[in-house]
Amino acid sequence: MNEILERLALCIEFGKINKTSPYPPNMKGQDGADELAKLALNEGVKPDEILENALIPAMEIVGGKYSRKEIYVPQMLMSAKAMNSALAHIKPFFQSGETKRKGKFIIGTVAGDLHDIGKNLVAMMIEGGGWEVIDLGVDAGTDKFLKAINEHPGAVIGLSALLTTTMENMKNTVSAIREKHADLKILVGGAPVTTDYCKKIGADFYSPDPQGAVNYLKQLVS
Amino acid sequence: MKDKKFQFNVSDLKLSVSQVERIIGYKEGEDSGLVTGLIGEVIEEASQICSVKAEYAIFQDVRFEDRGKMIFIGNIDFDIKGIVYQQLKKSESVALFLCTAGPEISRRISNSMNEGDLLKGYVYDIVGSEIVEAAADLMQSNLEGEALNEGNKITNRYSPGYCGWDVVGQHKMFRLLNGEYCGVRLTESALMNPVKSASGIIGIGKNVKFNPYTCEMCNMKGCTYKKFRSG
Ligand code: B12
Repeated sequence: MNEILERLALCIEFGKINKTSPYPPNMKGQDGADELAKLALNEGVKPDEILENALIPAMEIVGGKYSRKEIYVPQMLMSAKAMNSALAHIKPFFQSGETKRKGKFIIGTVAGDLHDIGKNLVAMMIEGGGWEVIDLGVDAGTDKFLKAINEHPGAVIGLSALLTTTMENMKNTVSAIREKHADLKILVGGAPVTTDYCKKIGADFYSPDPQGAVNYLKQLVS
Repeated sequence: MKDKKFQFNVSDLKLSVSQVERIIGYKEGEDSGLVTGLIGEVIEEASQICSVKAEYAIFQDVRFEDRGKMIFIGNIDFDIKGIVYQQLKKSESVALFLCTAGPEISRRISNSMNEGDLLKGYVYDIVGSEIVEAAADLMQSNLEGEALNEGNKITNRYSPGYCGWDVVGQHKMFRLLNGEYCGVRLTESALMNPVKSASGIIGIGKNVKFNPYTCEMCNMKGCTYKKFRSG
C-alpha cells in the first residue's frame, strides 16, 4: 500500500488530527490526517482509494478496539475527529459524484426522547464506515423519519431510545416506516433495547454498540 | 420534618477528576492523559454556568399494600414493585425528591458536539450526570441529618425506572412534587427536561435500613457503570 495512506491510516487509528494537534504525544510535530489526506490527493491518489484503503479500515480498527474495550470513548472520538479532517478533503469529490459512499444512513432519537450522546457516537462511527449520515437529531417523530426517507430513498434507518417509555415510540415509528417501505433496513439501539425487542417490533437489527451496526451495514453492501 | 429546597454550587459537590475517569472506563493508574486536563476544565466551566437544584417533600400519610407491592401516598397509589417495596415497607413517612443540574449543561453538551468538539461534549455529558448524582447524595445526607434529629433513619433513594418500578410512575410523583422550584418539566413520555435530572423516593422511620445500592438489584446488561459501582 501507498506509504502516505499507511501513515494516514495510523493518524486516524491514533487520533492525530493535524500537525499542530498535541495528541497523541508520541506523534507531536508530525503531519496529521489533515495534511496527509491533502498530500495523498496532491500525489495523485484517488479519493476512492483514500477512503477504502485508509479511512475506512482505520476506523474499523478503532471500532474493534472499542468493542473489545481496549480503548475508551475519548480515543474513539479523537479518531473520528482525525477522520473528519481527512474526509473534509474528500467531500468535494462526493459532491461532484466522482467518489461514492457506501450508502445513506438516517439516524434519530425517537419522539419524546432527548438523549443524543449514544446516537451521536453511532452516527460518527457509521460515517467512519464510509456512509453518508443524515442525523435527524433528538425527539424525531415518525413524520420526520418518513420525510427523510422520501428525500433519501433506499437509506438504512437507525433509531435510538433511552427510556422504556420512548421505546414505545420506537415501535410506532418502526411500524409506520414498515407500512410504507417494507424493504428498508431498520436498526435499533439504546440502553433499554434488546434483540428480543428488536424482533418484536419488526426491526432488522439491534446492536449494543456502534461497531455492531457498522459491521451489519458493511455486510449489507458487500 | 419539613420540606426543603436546595441550591448547590458545583464546588459544593466535590466532583473528582478520577471519578469521571473511572466512568469513562480508565482504570486506576492507566494513562488518561487525553482527558485528565479536559475533565478539570469542564468541571471548572460547569461551576460557572450550572445552577444545581434539589428539593424534597415529606409525606406522612403513607400506607403499604403487601399483596400488590404498592405504596399509597395520600390517595395516590404507586406500583413500586417488589424490590423497592421491600426496602420501603417499614417507612413511617417518605420523602419524594427531585434534583437537576439545570438546562445550561445540556446546552453546553450540544453546542460542543455541534461545533465538532465531540470529546468536550462527551466529557460534559458525563460531568452533567455526575453533578446530578452528587447533588442527590448531598440532598440525601441532609435529609438523613434531619431524620436523625428526630430519632429516625432513612433508606437509600429509589427512582422510577429502576428495579422494576416503571418510569411512568414519575407522572404520579410530579402530581405531588410539581418540579417548579427545580425547573424540571416532565414530558408525556415520562422524560424529565432538562435531561440531567433525577427523581425518586426515600423512606423514613425508626425501623428502616439503609442498604447500599447494588448492581445485582438491576437487570441491566453491559452497563458501563456496573464494573466500578459494584466493585
Ligand atoms: C448516566 C445515566 C443517567 C444520568 C444522565 C442521563 C443521560 N443519559 O444524560 C442521570 C443521572 C441524569 C440519569 C437520570 C435518569 N435515568 Co438514567 N441512566 C444513566 C446510565 C447509567 C448511562 C446512560 C449513558 O449516558 N450511557 C452512555 C451512552 C453513550 O450510551 P447509550 O446512550 O446507551 O448509547 C450506546 C448504546 O446504547 C448504543 N446505541 C444508542 N443508540 C443507538 C442506536 C442504534 C441504531 C444502535 C445500533 C446503537 C445505539 O451505542 C451507544 C454507544 O455505545 C443508564 C444505564 C446504562 N448503563 O446505560 C441509565 C438509564 C438510561 N437511566 C434510566 C432511568 C430510569 C433514569 C431516570 C428515569 C431515573 C429517575 N427517575 O430519575 C432518570 C431520567 C432522566 C430524565 N431526564 O428523564 C434507565 C432507563 C430505562 C428505563 N427504565 O426506562 C437506565 C437504562 C438505567 C436502568 N438500569 O434501568 N440517568
